[in-house]
Amino acid sequence: MKSFVYTLLFIFLVISLLPPFLMIFTSFVPEGDLFNRTIQKALADFEAPRVVLLNKIRPLKTSLNIIQEGNNSFAKIEQSSDFVGLGFSLGSSDINMLKFVSFKIKNAQPVSVRIGFKDIKERVEYFYEQQIPANQQWSTQKIPVNPKALSLDTVHISQLRIEFKALSDLYIDDVSFVNNFPTLYNFIKVLGSDNFGRYLINSAIVSVSVVVGNIFFCALVGYCFARKNFRFKETLFALILGTMMIPPQVTIIPVFILMKNLNLIDTYWALILPNLVSPFGIFLMRQYIEQLPFELDQAAYADGANDFQIFWHVILPLCKPSIAVLGINTFVLTWNDLFYPLILTTSREMRTVQIGLALYQKLNVFTWPTLMAASTLTGLPIIIVFLIFEKKIISGIIEGAVKG
Amino acid sequence: MKRTKVSTVFLFLLPWLVSFAVFTAYPLIFSIFVSFTDYSGLNPKMTLVGMKNYLRAFSDPVFLKALTNTFIFVLITVPATTVISLFLGLLLTSGIKLKRLFQAGFFLPSVISMVVISMIWLYIYSATGPLNLLLNSIGIRIPMQSWLSSAKTALGSIMVMDIWSAVGYYTVLFVAGLQSIPIQLYEAAKIDGATKWQTIKGITLPLLKPTVLFVISINSIRSFQIFTEIFTLTGGGPANSTQTIVHYLYDTSFRKFEMGYGSAMAYILFVIILVITLLQRKILKGEQL
Repeated sequence: MKSFVYTLLFIFLVISLLPPFLMIFTSFVPEGDLFNRTIQKALADFEAPRVVLLNKIRPLKTSLNIIQEGNNSFAKIEQSSDFVGLGFSLGSSDINMLKFVSFKIKNAQPVSVRIGFKDIKERVEYFYEQQIPANQQWSTQKIPVNPKALSLDTVHISQLRIEFKALSDLYIDDVSFVNNFPTLYNFIKVLGSDNFGRYLINSAIVSVSVVVGNIFFCALVGYCFARKNFRFKETLFALILGTMMIPPQVTIIPVFILMKNLNLIDTYWALILPNLVSPFGIFLMRQYIEQLPFELDQAAYADGANDFQIFWHVILPLCKPSIAVLGINTFVLTWNDLFYPLILTTSREMRTVQIGLALYQKLNVFTWPTLMAASTLTGLPIIIVFLIFEKKIISGIIEGAVKG
Repeated sequence: MKRTKVSTVFLFLLPWLVSFAVFTAYPLIFSIFVSFTDYSGLNPKMTLVGMKNYLRAFSDPVFLKALTNTFIFVLITVPATTVISLFLGLLLTSGIKLKRLFQAGFFLPSVISMVVISMIWLYIYSATGPLNLLLNSIGIRIPMQSWLSSAKTALGSIMVMDIWSAVGYYTVLFVAGLQSIPIQLYEAAKIDGATKWQTIKGITLPLLKPTVLFVISINSIRSFQIFTEIFTLTGGGPANSTQTIVHYLYDTSFRKFEMGYGSAMAYILFVIILVITLLQRKILKGEQL
């Protein structure tokens, strides 16, 4: 029975954790996706008819000779006193994840080989030039590439050029790229190409401001409800709790009009001001302050402190546990919100990271690894906060629910 | 406790009062007004049109579709989420080791934002994604297309994703509810020779009723507002098969700029949520009497 329970729990644990794990893992894959990782990417195996091959392969100062031997076809490069070879068309490829250029070669005589790239601005740069000793059998050459050292536009490379200077004919086959895995390049690409850095900063500014505001204002209001006695106290408090169930969609149109009239659309203020005080926070702080001993206030009062001084110097420092709960939960909620920022911002510069991610796949040509890298950048801060403060977050959820 | 001076109280409550007045009370009243006008949001001109927006909503096939979809969504995901999380809550409180680890693991998806979750599942559901790969490898041949691009499967796929993302949160609430049941009751049941199932049926479930009701009501309120996953994954399509109230409201107000009509929809949603909340209150009160 016990082992059955553990098995069930374990299955559910795997189901819960597998998708986030997929996300993080896929963001380190160079191309393809997690299950079809393109680590090695074939450029040409010369198996197609010559006419088809000519679409993708351009002979450089020579002609494309295909030789068939059994099931295998490969290309012949004629002897030459100058560099001749083949250009492999890449369209407009990003080669920043490239680790090796790999090809098979069979050469009766030693041969000089040079390898280079051409970018879409038609600039050509060779990064490798060396002798390959004679070899009667097929041998695989793996030429290391350092994309950073190239002066070309490495994001838009149109052609790979492999050229030879040989005293006798030689044969090549199976030209391919070997990518780096794992690679950090997806993150660099997302941060660079789509302003994700800016989105992250915007989200951080808004979230931190809302957290600070909530801690201060909710504690202030909570203190008043916990310690002061006034008319309509419980009615007002019920009203505060009642506002918790008003869906934000009902108030968003007037808030939008208001922000527009105040010229605050597309500013941090529009995202911060409406969220500075939360009913949940007031409720949480009141509960906590109510159980602090009242003698503390009286002692401070006897020393001549006023209400605000008591709040600031006596009560607030004692509220650290509930401040932590409130702060962390508010941070998570604000960071994750899409609806408010989507409506109250218009420009690219003011987008929060959630909008950036939601629009990323709509506005960009994306691959799964880059989309997952963007998702990881958006989700990881919260996952880390959760791993550190798991206890506080869960106790915040439970305390918020107790009133139900 | 003696009365505090009104001015002091007023100063302390000021932050909330201002926020309530500006961002809750005023918008709440103003949007009722807007819902009776033809306000576009682009120019300040607005004329009263009476009940026209409300009547229009109930004869607008897209809104009716959105309403139906939202109800289907709520009626399937809320019970499913409740049952699964109650089950997990019972497993977690059955005296196992590593309870906190399991609980934290289940809870993790609910701190991740819905946008991120949507992106992960966009990948999982894609034509050559992990789900199709898995189905293929166990021999189920299905058309290689994204689960979200067919009108038949899109809403169902989003429901599965939503249940996955929400279960952990409600599990935590159930664990808290289960732990508040006095242990003496279980001991008494044990002495009386009750089986595990009898204990659950006779003690746990009746005492857990308030938690169950609370979970159902907050989850319904949340689910009626489903927007993010629709906005990021399908935009309401294909053929409005995933259109929901809030997504249509957003589309109408902020893309087609018919804010009067949008406000009417928002109020229809508000009334639905209000009814659910009051219903839940009533059931709870009846329970306690």
